[in-house]
Amino acid sequence: MSELGLPPFLILSAFLFVCGVVCIATKRNAIAVLMGVELVLNAANLNLIAFARFRPGFGLDGQVFTLLVIVLAAAEAAVALAIILNFYNNHATVDVDEANELKG
Amino acid sequence: MFDTPGRLYVVATVLPLAAFVLLLVGGGVRAACRPFRRQGGFCGNLYWVCGGDQPLKTGAYLATAFMALAAALAVLGLVEFLTDTSEGPLRSSRWSERADWVRLGPLDTAPPPEWEKQRAEYDRPAPPVALALEVGYRIDSLTAVAFAMVTVIGTLIFVFSLGYMREEANETVEDHEVPPAATGSDPRTHPHAATGHGSGAGPFRRRGRFGRFFLYLSLFAFSMLNLLIADNLFQVFVSWELVGVCSFLLIGFYYERPKAATAANKAFIVNRIGDAGFLVGIMVAWTYFGTLNVEELTRRVRSADRDSHGPAQYPDRLIRGNPGQPYRDGTPKYELPVKEEFGTGSSLILMPIAAEEPDHTHTPGYGPHKDRRFRVPAAQTYTTYGAIPYWLFVVMGLGIFLGCVGKSAQMPLHTWLPDAMEGPTPVSALIHAATMVAAGVYLVGRCFPLLAPEVLLVIAYVGAVTLFVSATIALVQTDIKRILAYSTCSQLGFMMLALGVGGWVAGLLHLITHAFFKALLFLGAGSVIHACHHEQDVRKMGGLRRKMPLTAYTMLVGVLAISGAPFLSGWYSKDQIIAAAVGYGLRHQHHVLLLVLPLVTTALTAFYMFRLWLLTFTGEPRDRHVHDQAHESPAVMTVPLVLLALLSIGVAWGWPPWDAEASYLGQVLHKAEPAAVTVEFGQDRDLGHEHHLPAGALALLLAVAGAAAAWWSFGRRRPTTESLYAGGGPGYRFLLNKWYFDEVYDAAVLRPTVTLARVAAAADKRPTDGPVPPGEAEPPPRRFDLLTLDGLLNAPGQALLVLGRSLRGLQTGSLRTYVLWLGLTATLLLAILAALAR
Repeated sequence: MSELGLPPFLILSAFLFVCGVVCIATKRNAIAVLMGVELVLNAANLNLIAFARFRPGFGLDGQVFTLLVIVLAAAEAAVALAIILNFYNNHATVDVDEANELKG
Repeated sequence: MFDTPGRLYVVATVLPLAAFVLLLVGGGVRAACRPFRRQGGFCGNLYWVCGGDQPLKTGAYLATAFMALAAALAVLGLVEFLTDTSEGPLRSSRWSERADWVRLGPLDTAPPPEWEKQRAEYDRPAPPVALALEVGYRIDSLTAVAFAMVTVIGTLIFVFSLGYMREEANETVEDHEVPPAATGSDPRTHPHAATGHGSGAGPFRRRGRFGRFFLYLSLFAFSMLNLLIADNLFQVFVSWELVGVCSFLLIGFYYERPKAATAANKAFIVNRIGDAGFLVGIMVAWTYFGTLNVEELTRRVRSADRDSHGPAQYPDRLIRGNPGQPYRDGTPKYELPVKEEFGTGSSLILMPIAAEEPDHTHTPGYGPHKDRRFRVPAAQTYTTYGAIPYWLFVVMGLGIFLGCVGKSAQMPLHTWLPDAMEGPTPVSALIHAATMVAAGVYLVGRCFPLLAPEVLLVIAYVGAVTLFVSATIALVQTDIKRILAYSTCSQLGFMMLALGVGGWVAGLLHLITHAFFKALLFLGAGSVIHACHHEQDVRKMGGLRRKMPLTAYTMLVGVLAISGAPFLSGWYSKDQIIAAAVGYGLRHQHHVLLLVLPLVTTALTAFYMFRLWLLTFTGEPRDRHVHDQAHESPAVMTVPLVLLALLSIGVAWGWPPWDAEASYLGQVLHKAEPAAVTVEFGQDRDLGHEHHLPAGALALLLAVAGAAAAWWSFGRRRPTTESLYAGGGPGYRFLLNKWYFDEVYDAAVLRPTVTLARVAAAADKRPTDGPVPPGEAEPPPRRFDLLTLDGLLNAPGQALLVLGRSLRGLQTGSLRTYVLWLGLTATLLLAILAALAR
């Protein structure tokens, strides 16, 4: 099996990251924004795993960090969904542009 | 009689303070209880116990009694002092004590290394480091005499005031000299202003202030007595300021009169100028000597009169030297000039004073030790030689003298004294005769050994100019009290001159005798003013001799005494002053002005004093109205006059009476004369002795000429009212306007200050933008105005506000915008990092 090397993983990771950011920046639906955030997090995870695989100096750090991020993402999803549900209860919409009551 | 008879003086000093405190507490309690006076109960009763609505008459009698007691103690102390035969340390322990007041430096049990070295070398016990502000008293014959003078005159003035201020004992006093504009403007502060009259109508009315007057007088007496017994400059300074405050309060006693209020301010402010100088002097002394005790300061700057090898060759001198090449270990070395240049050098050598026994000391350079070099340790302490730049030493002396110039109303700062005449007349007597103005002369006498020859010369010239200028102004004044005020300036000038030319005894003797006859003259003037219902213009008087003979003839005694008539007290002191001036003037012929001015002024003195007396008491009554209501004053006022007249005649007598130098009082004072006087002025004094008789005769002749001229102008010719009111030539107007001193100060100091204040106020004003918007009180503030103080201080705040306002727009609440910013910022940061990493 030929070795792919680090760069393709990084390119994929960057692609995923940009997709996530663009998703956050363009979507008005809160759920879609949350999905964008998940994409960004997973792009980071892929980055970590790739470095852990191809750079021996990192040892198990990459895997451990990735597990941490996954747990974090799960927690974040739970909290964010709760917020979105509450927001929907109050505003009858999940449009983030409606959430502007706190602006100065 | 006692172990420490000096404590008599402490008790006598504290007595007026006790009267002051009693009056203050009584008055304060009464004021606090005043709201309950109609309700009874404890507070209400207390109000009536403390005097009720009436002014505090009991308190006034109490204060007078305390003052009399102080005088009795002072006389007792004087007798005790003069009969005390103890000598040396025993005597000083009987008549002086000192204690720490505020300790500033550490009470160092471990002495500094230099001491250890010295101790090892000389086997000398280490004294404690001083550096403490102390309280203490030291009685010498000058203090004893001056103390007796102040208390005796003070008592007589207190008694006189009981009569003179009688009006103030009434519940309501009408003050006709308050301009109507001030009348009844504020019924709260002037509770009687609105009663009976509509506001603004009728003469100004207020509560009588009998008690308050005696309260101030008592505090004044205490401050003055404390100043006299003080053994250190700091205590003197404290009393000095207290005296200043009291004079402010007393000059402004009728503070509703604008003139009195202004005069009080003027006296206070002008004295501050002098006090600033005094403070500088004190600070130099403190920095370089570490003590303010006058005795210790003297021992520090003047060489000892004996050392371990016998009597010193040059005792009580200021020794000067020059800094030389330092020793190898770095301690500075000072070299004395060769003997022929004695008294030159850029530094003054300070003597060690800690060692009581002069075991291993020698006067540097000029003793049996021919060594002209000696070391000054880096840390100067009591036990070692030290050095102070000579110019700083001169500055110290000038500073102390500047304080005396202010208090004793000498030339540049004399303008407050005539204005101070706005106060009640007994105050004028107390301030201008016995106490406040005496303080300056007294202090110069006390600090004489600390004054460099240059300073003494300045003192002599200031005195000479003052005595002449004031006398010329007194020639033409028409207010009876102002004539006396300028005469006081002039006589104080005589005292300063005497001190400056080495007539230490003469100057201080004149201080004492002048106090008596000037108190007499002021109280006599007070009696006249009282009789004429507060008319002070001598042009409206005349012929009062028949109406009030006792006042007239006691005042004549005062006039004769101040003019220097033989066998009256003034003659003894003035003759000695003239002798001192002659001695100095003959020996230093380029300073002949110091001899001419006092001689001329003796004639002027006789002229203006006789003019005053003749205009007031002889001739035809010039104002029928004033003359008709004039009457002799009550006994409470005339008895002090008679007593003061007797004292003015005889206080300086001695045996034989025709020899001015045999004055007993002078001989008593002579015992306190610092040795430095003889050292500095011994030859002058001998020269003065030689020419005493012709000089005295010349002075007497001039005085007679002055008196005769006054009689020629005002006694024989009987001036008409019109001639007195007619103006004179430019010279006359020049004198009438007091040499335009006030005008010059006004133009040179006052106006620039006021202008500066206006500019400063303008800079502080709130800058405005545009007109006042309708419905608002103030125009809108300018946003940035860096030209004014407020604008400058507000600019940073305003800048932050503007910044905050502009940043506020960034928080849109739009999530996408935030993410956009986030992304852009992250990109930017990464780009920067990448650029840096390359």
